[in-house]
Amino acid sequence: MTLDAGTSATGALSILNRFRLFRLGGMTVADYGFYVLCGTAIVLLATQAVLGPQTFFQVLDFGVADGAIYALVALGYTMVYGIIELINFAHGDIFTLSAMLGSALLGFFAVSSNSFTVTDLIALAVAFPVVMLFIGGVNVTIERIAYRPLRNAPRVAPLITAIGMSFIIEGIMYLWHGAVTVGFPDLLPHGPGYQTYIGGVFFTFKDVFVIIAAGILVTLLALFINRSKLGKAMRATAQDRDAAQLMGIDINRTISATFFIGAVLAGAGGIIYGLYFNNLDYHLGFRAGLIAFTAAVFGGIGNIPGAALGGLLIGLVQAFSDNYIGAKWTEVVIFGILIGVLVFRPTGLLGMRVPEK
Amino acid sequence: MVRARGLIVLTAAALVAFACGSSSGAAGSKGTINIGSDLPVCTVGGQATQNGIQFAVNQKNAAGGVNGYTIQFHGFDDCSQGAYSADVGVENVQKMLGDSKYLGMIGPYNSAVAKAEIPIAAPQHFTMISPSNTNPCLTKEVQAPLPACSYHAADLRAGNANNYWRVVTTDDYQGPAMADYFYKTLNITNTAILDDSTVFGVGIAGAFEAEFKKLGGTVAKHSEYKKDQQGSDFKSILLAFKNAGAKAVYVGGTDDQNICIPRAQMKQLGWDVPFGGGDGIETTDCIDQATGNEPGILATSAGADATQVPAAAQTIADFRKAFPGPNDFGGYTMQAYDAANALMAAIGRAINDANGGTPSREQVRSEMAKTKGFVGVVGTYDFDQNGDTSLKIVSIYQVGGSLSADAVAKSTGVCGSKTAKDACFVWKTQFDFAKA
Repeated sequence: MTLDAGTSATGALSILNRFRLFRLGGMTVADYGFYVLCGTAIVLLATQAVLGPQTFFQVLDFGVADGAIYALVALGYTMVYGIIELINFAHGDIFTLSAMLGSALLGFFAVSSNSFTVTDLIALAVAFPVVMLFIGGVNVTIERIAYRPLRNAPRVAPLITAIGMSFIIEGIMYLWHGAVTVGFPDLLPHGPGYQTYIGGVFFTFKDVFVIIAAGILVTLLALFINRSKLGKAMRATAQDRDAAQLMGIDINRTISATFFIGAVLAGAGGIIYGLYFNNLDYHLGFRAGLIAFTAAVFGGIGNIPGAALGGLLIGLVQAFSDNYIGAKWTEVVIFGILIGVLVFRPTGLLGMRVPEK
Repeated sequence: MVRARGLIVLTAAALVAFACGSSSGAAGSKGTINIGSDLPVCTVGGQATQNGIQFAVNQKNAAGGVNGYTIQFHGFDDCSQGAYSADVGVENVQKMLGDSKYLGMIGPYNSAVAKAEIPIAAPQHFTMISPSNTNPCLTKEVQAPLPACSYHAADLRAGNANNYWRVVTTDDYQGPAMADYFYKTLNITNTAILDDSTVFGVGIAGAFEAEFKKLGGTVAKHSEYKKDQQGSDFKSILLAFKNAGAKAVYVGGTDDQNICIPRAQMKQLGWDVPFGGGDGIETTDCIDQATGNEPGILATSAGADATQVPAAAQTIADFRKAFPGPNDFGGYTMQAYDAANALMAAIGRAINDANGGTPSREQVRSEMAKTKGFVGVVGTYDFDQNGDTSLKIVSIYQVGGSLSADAVAKSTGVCGSKTAKDACFVWKTQFDFAKA
């Protein structure tokens, strides 16, 4: 009886798999499904773009800005997963903590929210590197304390310590500020003179700043991973840790560097988030982390351009859904699309980089 | 620490009572009657409210007490770890019930505490008058579109005669008040509504929508969100509102659900329209969330603002002389003053019922139930059989930006705490639903 059920289930699965991978004119059925899905989305959005171009491009602007921030956080998830196959749940809280540190640090300067002054510029020039380096150090410490001793433990153990670190960081932020909204100085130039209508679409300096800043950071990261020696070491470690070690790569140092760089990006993302939204709370990282992690899987976890693309797409889906479908459905839409994509393309949009073992 | 403070309050109260007792001489010859209060004294609002009761009792004793009795007042604190606690409130009521000298109490401050206290006090016919509870479910069944109560007012009293009254009106008038203000005062005929999917938010938004449509207005779009799923970006929702033709935004919700962040983001759309909500946004946190776009936020509160009632001016001036501290006077101080006087008036009539002797709790309760046309400083009160006041006043407040130090001092004192410390809620107008 049990055996029968088992056999038939395997049978059904293999039939399904065979169907999925059935080739038709050079592509599998799964590929067709994926392209049909993409095509439908493009047609639906194009219709809106033609019917109401102003709304469409306005929402596009909002979505890209949000997506850029998600991308910065998603990169940290994807890098860490790529190298040690750990879902670093504390990463979202690292992001929040850096936003709060940024807010506190900017408080030491006589910054002005009303007009953009030289002080504001100096404050930002100090806050970005200080927070990014500090939070990088925090993440390296977390790795040293909570993940490294468990590197050869069963996979679920570091997962639990990661969740633990997430709660600990949230707890620290709660003790610091309580449950209330924490303000972030509204430093970016805003108001008349820094906003304009282009073809009926309202652009503010803030939106543009977020998109450009995130774009620069992602490009720098991609260059670093592909061109630098350390980047090469990271790629090697991700591919085969033991072989990399045999080739003389210091694994611990490489993994620490990965955590450091992931946190540096999250740190920049935190400050950019603060400058863009001006509102923080201790629990922010939970959702931001979940969405960013989803973005990393969406793009193909372990794949750096994939994480950036996934973040961007989730930001867009969120903005379009909020406007065209309704905010209460947004989460359903995001994860519905995610499931659709993963069913037809389990490795994510740009393909997962599976460590070869 | 809390115990030590309680001791100091007790000592101070005893000293005051002693001083008054000795100065009023023959007035207090029949002895003392105790009244208590149950308020979150650890908070600024709770302490300011207790001051109103203390002031009323001091005045009464100085004028000869109540029918020959000296009133002794003791304020209980229902704080636990810095915030109100229903459990502590229940303990306080039990202490009062255990001492037969206590004939009534003022409080509690928070509706959730009242829900826990009424069932204990009702069987003992112990009179409770709240200066500040606004949850409609404490006294009545609410009608759709408000969400049904999770408990019944009658069940709290468990078959006993009503022992609970309040001197402020209820939340179900807040939504309609803002609808009236939008439609009649601001001449807005098309609005959008955003609610935070909580019981309070859905209810107040529903009440607003019903009234706004009844007036002839159009609701361009009604959207809802959940804080845990929304994150911080409301811009696309707001854009949909704007495109639907809305000329204002009403928000049903509370600041802890980020309900005022959309106000800040209206700037990023270049959309400048009125933004209003209930008392859940008449808070410092709301002003902080609206960073950069604070001025103009509208909020309601289910009670009259005593500082705007001409008849209250003299009493407030006298109060300020007796309690000169900057935080001694609060939004419910005069409501507490009225509540204390209504209770002492009922005690006075009950003493007559007892032929000049010490009345029973039931006599006080039954006299309180008969209260008609009680003249307080905020207004003249009648009470219905549920314990609700005939004074159905909802105040409207608006955030003023870049206020002068003098204007900040004259405002409600609810101001921004971060960048906009000079942006505060200022009384705008009030709606009287008893007259409507």
